[in-house]
Amino acid sequence: MKRTLAVSNVHKSFGGVRAVRGVSLALEEGHVLGLIGPNGSGKTTLLNLIAGVAKPSKGEITLDGRRIDGLAPHRIVAAGIAKTHQIPRPFLSMTGRENVAVAALYGSNKTRDLPEAMETAGRVLGLVGLAGKEDVASSNLTVQQRKRLEFARVLATGARILLLDEIFAGLSPDELRDAVALFARLQGELGFGALVVEHVMRAVLTVSQHVVVMEEGSKIAEGTPQEVVQNPAVIEAYLGPEAGRAPP
Amino acid sequence: MRRLSLRTLGPTLLGILAFLGVLAAIAGRMPLVLLTLVINLLIFAALAYSINFITGLTGYVSFGHVLFMAVGGYGLAYGVGTLHWHPVAGVALGALVSLALALGIGAVTLRFRGVYFAIASQVTALAGFYIVLEVQELGGGQGIVLNVGFEPIAWFYTIWVILAIEVGITYWITHGRLGYGIRSIRADEDAAKTVGVHAAALKLVLFAISGLFAGAAGGVYYWQGSGIFPNEAFSLTFSLIMLAMIVIGGMGTLLGPLFGAVAVYLSSQYFLTVLIGFEFVIIGVLVVVIALFLPEGIVGTLRKYVPELRGLIE
Repeated sequence: MKRTLAVSNVHKSFGGVRAVRGVSLALEEGHVLGLIGPNGSGKTTLLNLIAGVAKPSKGEITLDGRRIDGLAPHRIVAAGIAKTHQIPRPFLSMTGRENVAVAALYGSNKTRDLPEAMETAGRVLGLVGLAGKEDVASSNLTVQQRKRLEFARVLATGARILLLDEIFAGLSPDELRDAVALFARLQGELGFGALVVEHVMRAVLTVSQHVVVMEEGSKIAEGTPQEVVQNPAVIEAYLGPEAGRAPP
Repeated sequence: MRRLSLRTLGPTLLGILAFLGVLAAIAGRMPLVLLTLVINLLIFAALAYSINFITGLTGYVSFGHVLFMAVGGYGLAYGVGTLHWHPVAGVALGALVSLALALGIGAVTLRFRGVYFAIASQVTALAGFYIVLEVQELGGGQGIVLNVGFEPIAWFYTIWVILAIEVGITYWITHGRLGYGIRSIRADEDAAKTVGVHAAALKLVLFAISGLFAGAAGGVYYWQGSGIFPNEAFSLTFSLIMLAMIVIGGMGTLLGPLFGAVAVYLSSQYFLTVLIGFEFVIIGVLVVVIALFLPEGIVGTLRKYVPELRGLIE
């Protein structure tokens, strides 16, 4: 059965700041949903609400119809949803393989067998293009490699819905091209669902079938990548009111 | 499942077990002076392994661990003095009360991180002191004097068993799935949660184990001392000695607490005879020097600079 994540009318306030104001979206396993918007529009907060890092002030989040909002992060992972960090957070005292093994040992697909977890970790590192880096201390990895390690960790949890926070940011043009190709290939092979928060427009429009646009905590547009980039509200949000009104 | 054989246990565990085995074999023939020294060394080692479970493995610095040692001592004193139990049953009582207390305290204080946890843990020890002062059943400010026999062999084997179990549990935790979860918490607790590690539960289990064994070691310490007095029992010095032992030996390692106990206990006994009153000043200086220059302790430093030892000590 395909897993379905549904966010309905979710709000989050931090004191007086209303970071997320009634956002709804749905994502089915096997699909990629892009989530874009200017800085501070609430994208990362929304991912944190889904991942259980923070609790919504109002609204519901369900997985296959079951409420998951307010569950602790490890329970969300157990349910089959895992999130990467915007700034990679490898366990610096561990090697690449050990980092991924933790996810294999504690994720939704958990094995209690150490050698098996190590094997899984090695295989997943190979998938994300980190073969040969298994036994390197993660503190010695480059930013690009750390991003891949972060991705390997969520894959190794066995999650079927991935929440990917700016996995394409901060890469050189060549690295970006490779990363997008790798992501598209793995998504096709493994068939996970992904909610991709991204600033790099070219990347997110390439990998997503559907895109949601947020501004100041609210959803302002939604549709296919082509529809979204032509939407006046979106152009206005990114480039200012003049750009939104004047047709090219 | 991997087959358990002597080879898979690793040289460190085998070495510690051999050391303990030799001590057990010759304890009965040791001169009393030496036996007393060994008993105290084992008590210190048991305390070091106990704080290693929480502070060594997770990085949560417990500044109030003396609380659990004292509760173990009071459990023993109440069991033996008031309930007229055998001292070993008294040790067990103290250990279990310590375990329960650690569960209760840990459920609250482990929510704090870094220096806040350290302060909270010290506050619990202070609170324990002031509570005991008011409880007449525990002797209030007068303490409890016990009328127990002089039984060095019984002390020895009791603390020996406690220490052996601690070493076994440390090995078991650090070599399995739990070890990976714990290391991930120590490295980055929030990131650990996002890959599915139930950090709160894991920390609480470790804190409870830590409390259990600090209590057990405390019970033997005050059994040997034939009584307990609140001013001594809740002294910050004990908390600091426990921390000093694992800092010196190597936090979170299997061998470190034993090395640390030997270093701290033997030097405190040595300096006690030459520089009366200054022994802890010297240990304090030693801790500062090690924390500054060898932050991974004896074991971590040996592993770092002597590659040949990497497969041997852990």
